[in-house]
Amino acid sequence: MIDLTALAEFAPAIWRGLLVTVEICAVSLMLGLVLGLVVALLGRLPFRPLHWLIRGYVEIWRGTPLLLQLFILYYGGPSLGFTPSAYLAGVLGMSLYTGAYLSEIFRGGFDAVPPGQIEAARMLGFTRLKTVRHIEVPQMLKLVVPPTTNQMISIIKESAVLSVITVPELTLTTTRIVSETFNVVEPYLLLGLAYWSITSLVAFASRRVERRLVQA
Amino acid sequence: MTELMEIGARNAAIQLRGVGKSFGAHKVLTGIDLDIGRGERVCIIGPSGSGKSTLLRCMVFLETYDEGEIHVEGRLLGYSVEGGVRKRDADVQVAAVRRNVGMVFQQFNLWPHMTALGNVGAALRVVKGLPRAEVDRISREALATVGLAHKADDYPQRLSGGQQQRVAIARALAMSPSILLFDEPTSALDPELVGEVLEVMRKLAGQGMTMVVVTHEMGFAAEVADRVIFMDGGRIIEQGPPSRLFSNPQSPRLAQFLDTWRSRNHSGSAS
Amino acid sequence: MDFTAVIAQLPRLVAGAQTTVWLSVAALACGAVLGLVMCAARLSGNIALRAVAAGFVSVFRGLPLLVVLLILFYVPPNFGIETTPITAALLGLTLNTAGYQTEIYRAGFLTLPPGHAEAARMLGFSRLQIARHIFLPQIFRVTIPALTNEAVDVVKSSGLLSVIAVTELLRVSQQIVSSTYRPLETYLVCAVFYFVLSSTVSWTGRALERRMSLKPA
Repeated sequence: MIDLTALAEFAPAIWRGLLVTVEICAVSLMLGLVLGLVVALLGRLPFRPLHWLIRGYVEIWRGTPLLLQLFILYYGGPSLGFTPSAYLAGVLGMSLYTGAYLSEIFRGGFDAVPPGQIEAARMLGFTRLKTVRHIEVPQMLKLVVPPTTNQMISIIKESAVLSVITVPELTLTTTRIVSETFNVVEPYLLLGLAYWSITSLVAFASRRVERRLVQA
Repeated sequence: MTELMEIGARNAAIQLRGVGKSFGAHKVLTGIDLDIGRGERVCIIGPSGSGKSTLLRCMVFLETYDEGEIHVEGRLLGYSVEGGVRKRDADVQVAAVRRNVGMVFQQFNLWPHMTALGNVGAALRVVKGLPRAEVDRISREALATVGLAHKADDYPQRLSGGQQQRVAIARALAMSPSILLFDEPTSALDPELVGEVLEVMRKLAGQGMTMVVVTHEMGFAAEVADRVIFMDGGRIIEQGPPSRLFSNPQSPRLAQFLDTWRSRNHSGSAS
Repeated sequence: MDFTAVIAQLPRLVAGAQTTVWLSVAALACGAVLGLVMCAARLSGNIALRAVAAGFVSVFRGLPLLVVLLILFYVPPNFGIETTPITAALLGLTLNTAGYQTEIYRAGFLTLPPGHAEAARMLGFSRLQIARHIFLPQIFRVTIPALTNEAVDVVKSSGLLSVIAVTELLRVSQQIVSSTYRPLETYLVCAVFYFVLSSTVSWTGRALERRMSLKPA
């Protein structure tokens, strides 16, 4: 039922597609991390309109499908004189999307450190910077790492929709093979296996990291 | 021999013969022989980790036991013997054997999504399948017995610890058990709430209920128990009427246990 | 920007939104049943059942919904099984949310003190009665926040059904774009629809959470 030679034939192309997926996800995650952290920090400034702006960003980007956001960037952008490549629209869309989720995670992390601990550190002569470095960040990390790794897995899976705006990543590579060779079973089997392996791998790695952080 | 044991088992509410239990390599109960007579009030005391709660939980098969036999009202609990081989019973059979036994837990274990009345009536409704009016009547009666008729519609979170434990007692009473087990019923309570729970338990004892109480309340044990059992290291070290046990302990371990208890409570009076 | 062409198509968008809503509700409901069954399997004493449930969760949480949809839609015809977009859509969405709901219910179950079940067992409750009367009502209460998030995710994910030609909100928007040539305006209006839907879900979830929270004295 499953043709092994077909499997071998398609594997290299699908592997290249996987690398594109990994690359886009890594870049988007990095940008999303920076964006999320910046937004979370800005949210701590005592400036009301900024809070509303951040709320709006977070709620809208988390309340609409990523695919739609990509459509707006890729197909709607040109109406505003912005004509991104599929790849750029993809990275931009995924970064903004991830940033919205991560900013909420970081906000939660900052809020979770009790003010009493910070006061205690200050009373012992810790400077503001040393308090952040030695008291706040280590605790925040412990809280923030599990949801962030979940977000990583989410991103990898969500990135499949990039195929719809013609980014040549894993899913698009596979659907192209399907339409060119009329082989359905083998390419999709490889596709499923590729996603499942990479998400499982990230899940496994993050559990190890989390365990080490908990012990630390 | 077995015939004699059967006769003894029928007369006793709960009978234990050579009961032992291990958690992995750690032996928590060793060679427990014990008969709880009908209408008898037994208190089990001992330091923490002595196995007294485990023993109580074995009596209703909330914990399995590895060795020996436990008979509840004459029926072997938790196992069936077929051709000399012991086989663990299905839940339904276990439930049938202990159907006349009620249990009160240290942590009350009330269900937070039901009112006091709902907690008391749940088993009547779900397990016995009684009609609504009947469930209501019996539940209110049980709540009245523990002095909480006026709290029927409150959720557990709105009740004090003492009130919660009294609802838990009412919940057990509603199924009209002939035997009630108490697993440190006052240990999770603030000191000022202990009295109201002990009051209810005294009342039940006065009505002839068979009771087995694991407790740290020596005053209660001295006043209510027909027999006090002292456990340490998973064994029954000493037992007898409280008057003798408390005033004239035979074993050095019980003497030491009582000394420690007295020195801790020297300033206050026993409740 | 000119929204007049899109405004004229509002009835079609509303119809698309209705499809999105019923598909989401149906998938969430079927996913709840399947998720509870899988959760029970995961917590059971039977090793085989546990393995099946763990595999189910791993696969459907590990695969992108889009890939699941493509497989469900394009692979079965190869084995002589005809598929329609709606059945593939409903099945894919259900399996996806069931994978997540299994873990949500399991986490909820693990927050319940074991004493709740012991007390019920002592009163003669059977396993099924404990599950039905003691666990279920409490699990729904403690998992409302997580289930709310999951419902929002399902509404958003249902946009992927456009790829296999289910005429839900996003598909309708694409059709409107191809006739009006107004992608920006159309997709922005579509975004408003999704935002209203997901906000309604979040708001309802929070209201439910407040109503069902246990208020201490």
